[in-house]
Amino acid sequence: MRKSLKGLVMALSSIMLPGTGSAEDYIQVGNLVDFTGASSTVGKPYGQGKMDAMNYINENGGINGKLLDFETFDASYVVPRAIATYKKWVSRKKVVFIQGWGTSDTEALITFVTRDEVPYMSASYSGHLTDPKGLGPDTTKGAPYNFFFGPSYSDGSRALIQWAAKDWADKGGEGKPKYVFMGDNHPFPNAPRAASLSYAEELGFEVLPDIQYSLSPGDFKAQCLTLKESGANYAFLANTSGSSISILNSCDTVGVDVQFMSNIWGYGEDVMAASGTSANGVVWVMGAAKWGDDVPGMETVKAVSAMSDPSVEEYRAVHYIRGVCSVFFMKEAMEWADENGGLTGPNIKEGFYQRKDWVPAGMEGVCPKATWTADDHRGNTLVYIYRGQVTGDTSGSNIASLMKDGIIGMAKVGESDIPRRPEWLGQ
Amino acid sequence: MNTELLIQLLVNGTIIGTLYGVVAMCFTLIYKSTKIINFAQGEFLLIGAWVCWWILNQFDISFIFAFLLCLCFMMLLGILLQVLILKPMIGQPIISVIMVTIGLSIFFQAAMKWIFGVAPQPFPIVFETKSVEILGLNVQTAYIMSMAISLVIMVGFAWFFKYSRMGLAMRATAFDQQVAQSMGISVKRVFAMSWAISAMVSAMAGIVVGMVNGVSTGLSHFGIKVFPAIILGGLDSIIGAIVGGLIIGILENLAEFVDGQYLNWGNMYNIAPFYVLIIILMIRPYGLFGTKDIERI
Amino acid sequence: MSGSEMLPCGDFRTSYKADSTIFSTKWIRMSAVLTIVGCLFIPFIFDLYVLNLMIQIAYLGIAALGLNILVGFTGQISLGHSAFFGVGAFASAYMNNQWGIPVFLAIPLAGLWTTAAGMIVGIPAGRIKGLYLAIATLAGQIIIQDFFSRAGWFTGGAYGALAEPVTIFGYVFDTDERFFYIALFYLVIMYVLGTNLMRTRDGRAFIAVRDHYLSAEIMGVNLTKYRIMSFGISSFYAGVGGALFAHYLGFVSVESFDLLLSIQFLSMIIIGGLGSVSGALLGTVFMVLLPEVMEFGVSLLATTTWGDIPAITEGLAYIKEMSIGLAIVLFLIFEPEGLAHRWSLIKSYWKLYPFSY
Repeated sequence: MRKSLKGLVMALSSIMLPGTGSAEDYIQVGNLVDFTGASSTVGKPYGQGKMDAMNYINENGGINGKLLDFETFDASYVVPRAIATYKKWVSRKKVVFIQGWGTSDTEALITFVTRDEVPYMSASYSGHLTDPKGLGPDTTKGAPYNFFFGPSYSDGSRALIQWAAKDWADKGGEGKPKYVFMGDNHPFPNAPRAASLSYAEELGFEVLPDIQYSLSPGDFKAQCLTLKESGANYAFLANTSGSSISILNSCDTVGVDVQFMSNIWGYGEDVMAASGTSANGVVWVMGAAKWGDDVPGMETVKAVSAMSDPSVEEYRAVHYIRGVCSVFFMKEAMEWADENGGLTGPNIKEGFYQRKDWVPAGMEGVCPKATWTADDHRGNTLVYIYRGQVTGDTSGSNIASLMKDGIIGMAKVGESDIPRRPEWLGQ
Repeated sequence: MNTELLIQLLVNGTIIGTLYGVVAMCFTLIYKSTKIINFAQGEFLLIGAWVCWWILNQFDISFIFAFLLCLCFMMLLGILLQVLILKPMIGQPIISVIMVTIGLSIFFQAAMKWIFGVAPQPFPIVFETKSVEILGLNVQTAYIMSMAISLVIMVGFAWFFKYSRMGLAMRATAFDQQVAQSMGISVKRVFAMSWAISAMVSAMAGIVVGMVNGVSTGLSHFGIKVFPAIILGGLDSIIGAIVGGLIIGILENLAEFVDGQYLNWGNMYNIAPFYVLIIILMIRPYGLFGTKDIERI
Repeated sequence: MSGSEMLPCGDFRTSYKADSTIFSTKWIRMSAVLTIVGCLFIPFIFDLYVLNLMIQIAYLGIAALGLNILVGFTGQISLGHSAFFGVGAFASAYMNNQWGIPVFLAIPLAGLWTTAAGMIVGIPAGRIKGLYLAIATLAGQIIIQDFFSRAGWFTGGAYGALAEPVTIFGYVFDTDERFFYIALFYLVIMYVLGTNLMRTRDGRAFIAVRDHYLSAEIMGVNLTKYRIMSFGISSFYAGVGGALFAHYLGFVSVESFDLLLSIQFLSMIIIGGLGSVSGALLGTVFMVLLPEVMEFGVSLLATTTWGDIPAITEGLAYIKEMSIGLAIVLFLIFEPEGLAHRWSLIKSYWKLYPFSY
């Protein structure tokens, strides 16, 4: 848990006293991460990306000269801890923005941030966070202060289904392709379920009954046997990477012939390295560029990475880069707010609505363009689809050398701009 | 009815069942000798798997050596635990004993996460052939090895308890500690040995599962899955533990078959053993082979 | 009946009623009342962070007292307490959302709902003893948790349920300062009820069931009835605690009620002292403050040059978890009767000085 020095001094000195006000030229930001909890495999790179990006911004002029005073808290994906820290931040630190993390704490805090008027940018891309005014037909409550950078889970699954339909046609498949949704019965995997099943039917898939497999790693040969039996052609994996590794291993042993498609958090370099050849060929959703891509913005990302890795040797996972993007969007919204009425929560929220097809300066080619409006918080509808390749034994080496030697790799196989249908708002 | 799938699931169940049986056996061993219920059994699997993984990654030695080194470490760990933590617990009410092992399990889980991180790690490849086909199901070589070792261990245990001096000493201590002590059996040593053996065998099971699925925190869930097996078989019967483990392994896969083909609820694989556990506790709380507790007024 | 209070010499009780009072002397009664009145001023002195901790202590303390009634007073081990906690939370949100019952009434009604659930669980559990009961409740916990994630109509399934803040006659208790009073109100009432329970006939029956159930049965105490009643009452407490939790957080989701929370409840009462009402509260305070102390300790360590290594600074969450496990083990080895016992030893040391043995 790294706190900026000023934050630490203030924390120590204000343990017993009610919070003292912050200095004029510091902007108070809260940073929730998961380094040690259930989602830490992906939480670590994402959280590190946010911290490095905020440090980078402080080193390079800050927000119009003002520095970010951010406090990082590792809630380990435990909701009450996140809520307690949120209250501490609002009452003592007087935060004007929060960089959040997971689905459970984000959804728990929706009413709180709306009441306290603190914009909250989460790593949860749940569809429920996309409807600010509660206009969509399925929305239970509006979330005007919730933002996220990345395709929503539902849009991600829709893009994969579109790719699958095209892939079936290209392969010359006959009849209706079979689609199965696989995930645990938990909020995170369930988020895109309804959307993905209805869209699959719309595109002419035969939807098979769901297969459930646990979020924690284990032995899933029984589920893989059922999958094999069902004859599915395309299977959507909705869990996080820990269980993806196990299910890919189990299904490879059982010998299932199915095209796996994974959600954005369920696959990446870590899964490829841990599963070896069983992870070959999986298609999944990407929300930003990958480390080392030949795009103009990669220079900025390398400079950001240097904040915690001066030799720039470490290979940064795809989730790291999305974390950096989130912070850069926040930076530009804050810059606008600073010039147009001051750095308060509602103003920063307005700052998000100012640009259309927005790519932050210095991140061209890395973060796809985003547009947020007061009625529609679906920032990105452009989904990139990549396919992972694993060609050899991956045990015993680190990710950087595996990527360099070409043993693991990924290639873009498609992209999709999901239409902003009104009935999909909030779903 | 899809018999091919059913047979494959049954084979899968038997293989997993032997692993459950082995872990249940260790649990029963500790209970029989020391009357302690070890909620931290799953963590022994976890520690064994991580230590073996670490040894294999750090040092360039063959698998057999790493395996034996790991077993030595686990033996020391078992003895250490017994001496430091469990001796003060002798004579305490059962709730304290349960809570101590629960506390240990929390401590070890967190410690493993701290030392080795939370990301599942693949085990270095040990066997050249990854899998062998049995009755239509691809069975990993590691599981074949585990079945072989499990059988050896079961036979070994049976021989040990029936014929060797130490085994007899353990059975005597389990029956009545005071009488055993007065007959000259070192109860301290018996306790230490039973913990050491249990830790070693659990570590072996952990290494096997780690070889197949990668080392991760999911290994400690084995410890919870094992409870239905133990209750089914009877808390103080080694044979019961093995039979219980097999039954639970097969039952899980049968539940998956029924669920996948007919019910489509999705969670029967995880939940069915616990429903069975409750039912067994209702009708036959001492399990299939356990000794009934006769209460004297 | 008069607890472990040291009565001054010559103060003899002449009636049964006088012997079984909760507050044995005038001073004790007055200090209890003064403490409660003092608590009313807490929101004005402490800030939101400390308030949040106190509210956590309140709702967790109520549930812990329930578990202490079950485990400490009746001797039934239960590893499924957090499932009942969850039932109360979901029930309260459900009643408020679906049937429009005002939140202030929904909280005790949720407690009753949970009592029904607890008694249903208690019926089979009444026949099992000791370790088998622990394992059965463990299975019950897992099954009920699975039920939560499947029963979308009750719990909202994947999305969890929203819980409204408490409203009395239009005054909305949605900030922490205001909710603190609600929490304090329920805490005081539930604890007074609990203390009272232990001096009634049923309370004594519970203790008899724990100490030697065979003799109790011979003396005419209906074991099954009291075991079921014990499950019911402890579930009532868990339900009220859970309902408070729900309306405080504003959002209930199935992931909060896992096995780890059950274990934490058990450790609260063990650290606090089994079979002691004040022990439940002491244990809760300990368990709530322990992670905070760990965090403070680690941040202190991080300021030193030798302590500022990633292993410590990034391992804070692990250190917190390890400290919970370690606290349980160490307390059981060195202080098996808990903080309440230690506190009474301290009190008697002062009272009996210099003859403190």
